[in-house]
Amino acid sequence: MKRALDAIPADAGAEERAWAVVREAYARREPAVRHRSPVRPAFVLAAAVVVALAAAALSAPGRAVVNAVRKSIGIEGAQPALFQLPAPGRLLVSGAGGTWVVAADGSTRRLGAYSQASWSPHALFVVATTGNELATVEPATGRVHWQLARPAIGFPRWGGTRTDTRIAYLTTDRLHVVAGDGTGDRRLRPSARVAPAWRPGTSRHVLAYVDVRGRLTIMNADRGVATRLSRPYAEVRDIAWSADGKTIALAARNEVVLFEIATGDAHVVHVGGVRALAFAPDGRLALMRGDGVLLVDHGHLRSLFAGPSRLAGLAWSPNGRWLLSSLPAADQWVFVQTRGGHRILAVSHIRRQFGSEPSLDGWAPEA
Amino acid sequence: MCNRISTVSSSAGATLRLDRPVVAERRERALVRDAQGGSAEAFEQLFRSHWPRAYRAALLVVGDSAAAEDIAQESFLAAVRALDRFDRRRPFGPWLHRIVVNRAIDWARARALRRETFGDDGPDPAAREREPSEHADDLALGLAHLHPEQRAVIVLRYLLEYTPGEIAHMLDLPRGTVNSRLRRGLDQLQDAVEGERP
Repeated sequence: MKRALDAIPADAGAEERAWAVVREAYARREPAVRHRSPVRPAFVLAAAVVVALAAAALSAPGRAVVNAVRKSIGIEGAQPALFQLPAPGRLLVSGAGGTWVVAADGSTRRLGAYSQASWSPHALFVVATTGNELATVEPATGRVHWQLARPAIGFPRWGGTRTDTRIAYLTTDRLHVVAGDGTGDRRLRPSARVAPAWRPGTSRHVLAYVDVRGRLTIMNADRGVATRLSRPYAEVRDIAWSADGKTIALAARNEVVLFEIATGDAHVVHVGGVRALAFAPDGRLALMRGDGVLLVDHGHLRSLFAGPSRLAGLAWSPNGRWLLSSLPAADQWVFVQTRGGHRILAVSHIRRQFGSEPSLDGWAPEA
Repeated sequence: MCNRISTVSSSAGATLRLDRPVVAERRERALVRDAQGGSAEAFEQLFRSHWPRAYRAALLVVGDSAAAEDIAQESFLAAVRALDRFDRRRPFGPWLHRIVVNRAIDWARARALRRETFGDDGPDPAAREREPSEHADDLALGLAHLHPEQRAVIVLRYLLEYTPGEIAHMLDLPRGTVNSRLRRGLDQLQDAVEGERP
């Protein structure tokens, strides 16, 4: 077989034509300077950033230091393209350029012209929407398993076990749930335009959503029984479950509230303007507001990263060591190391790679 | 541990090298290191040693010589861009082949979406370097009947000689899916090849 495949005729001139192009690219490249100093510059820079951010929490002059550091943060030395992810796993992103899966080695695969997407519970499939169509797709091949047409579909979220799953999504003002095989689509309750969230770690299909009055509500999606968990909150932007399913966080205009499901206790973090929440696998909670990311770690709030412009989106690496956010104004992604070091890696020309500034739909482990 | 290198003579008088993969891997690591340090000669050796299989793999998946040239060339350009960050402990070939084959699948899939068809004549015979054997011609025609994903696993398995486990990792697929695609692909290839014969 190999001999026969090797014998299929090929274009002998291709190699020389390609070499001329590749040689030119290699000649233009500047080899990286490798420092042998035991104290690495990147570490020094990261340490300086951490110190400056701590100073900002203390004083106004400290804030000025941060602003100065921001401008010189590694973002200026950003990689010109996404060559690889800093941690294992697969990243799912969507935008006007479609939905893409990015492998750890930086290779990308476009799944189709979808505008929003999310992973299935074990990252074996992707649910995506074009706006008026919901589709389930194989991430490795882009093969569509089934489609469902509904008006103004948004925020598709997939939950469940390996053998029994449900997909929640919103239409204009209404929460819907459909089985993972595309059957039994049901129009449920009115909902705010906030992504619903499936409770992890349970075989029941328990869904959290925000009703039209801004109340966090927990529902058994199969039985339709709902329980209000909170009073109304103004301008709820995001909700997120911890990985163990014991805590759910809600970001509203003036605060972030963490609800303990077992006890019903609510812990309020008095920080306003949070637009996105994301729990790390180990329980740390990242909060994105304005141009910065804060971290709630064992009950303590600290600043993790301050960018030069407004951030968009949050995604934890599956191993919980890296946090990804986006700087749309700079056309960059920023990877912030939160465990095992303090590196900040930036990547430029995101729009060129994905056809638009994509949203960060999830960073899942290898299947 | 010492990686022993030994040579023996074959009955035809040629010299066979044993433990060649170990030598090749060491040599390749040295080439990557030198290329990272700015050696154009080292980089050219990397290019020359990997181009033929990268290009042929792309050609067999997409069936279009111009597209295959673009895909393989773009993959090497990606290698140039990532060179400084490349981990020398990893082999260069699988990393490159993963990029090539995934890009080839994407290209073939995009073409299918544009309602074009894989050429009925199999891989584009532009600028033939040599006269193919009858068997190779049959195989090329047979490949044209397979889906791009099936062509990809057959190319990875039988041209580039990766194991099903390695292919599963490269294509982000379960191993069982790789095995089933191989089996179905070979069955269809056999049907197609036998169908082409008079």
